[in-house]
Amino acid sequence: MPTPTNLHELFRTAFGAVYQCNRYNCYFVEFAGGISPFKVADFLDLKQHVDAINVAEMAKNPARAADVYVLMPNRSERCFVLTLTEVLRFQELLQGAKAMMALNSILHECLYSPAYC
Amino acid sequence: MKDLLRMRTSLSEEIETLLNEQIKVEAHSSATYLAMSSWCNRQGFDVSADYFMKQSHEEREHMLKLFNYVSDLGGHAISPEVVNIPQEYDSFRDVFEKALQQEIFVTQQFNRLADHCMKAKDFVTFNFLQWFLQEQVEEEYVARRALELFDVIGEEGTGRYEIDKAIRKISYDNGGDE
Repeated sequence: MPTPTNLHELFRTAFGAVYQCNRYNCYFVEFAGGISPFKVADFLDLKQHVDAINVAEMAKNPARAADVYVLMPNRSERCFVLTLTEVLRFQELLQGAKAMMALNSILHECLYSPAYC
Repeated sequence: MKDLLRMRTSLSEEIETLLNEQIKVEAHSSATYLAMSSWCNRQGFDVSADYFMKQSHEEREHMLKLFNYVSDLGGHAISPEVVNIPQEYDSFRDVFEKALQQEIFVTQQFNRLADHCMKAKDFVTFNFLQWFLQEQVEEEYVARRALELFDVIGEEGTGRYEIDKAIRKISYDNGGDE
């Protein structure tokens, strides 16, 4: 885990947080009792995967297997076993973090110019 | 704070997704032309079979051009899943009608993609797409000329044999007749 000075909190909810690590150029996702690093592309894959979970199907399907969603992100040792409410909370966390990343890109484009620094 | 998103790729998520969709369209076109080539071969239209085989290669090259562009810019180029390729056609003419429809669809998709690039101010990708837009002029021209042969020559008697022979003579010279 990098030192706190290299970590920037991107987004936080009551159930988790996403940090950006400027030392390793990755994101740390803190959720469901653990914290895991993700490279940029892997984070975006994770978000796409979580967004694609069919929560309506989870809600209406009476089978016990549909009560949880097992998510095994690529190139990560983490395995998420998510209930329906956790899926919704995870989606909210990742969407918020992605919005902050996009905002950071816009701010960089507007404010940061190496030629004038 | 570093801009990690931009450091990964200069493509926005939206444009990357659209480019991957276009890669799939080109792959589908390539496979469709291959099926047309097979159909023509089975019916004895030898020249047309070669023509569609060549078209299939061209579409695959287009797909790879898009694929390499996404990769070169740091994006995630997705190897497409190609399904639902029609294998049977009602008639010789039907094959060429479907080929023209295919090209019109590809042109529409490129126009849509260019429109999104303009709106997203992604002028690098917009510039990259100019080659494809120009290429579609030729693709549609050739497909339309091939279909017109059915009216110009007629299908009666040895008509279809003559049409098949005439397919190889179609070429696009970009209006430079003089």
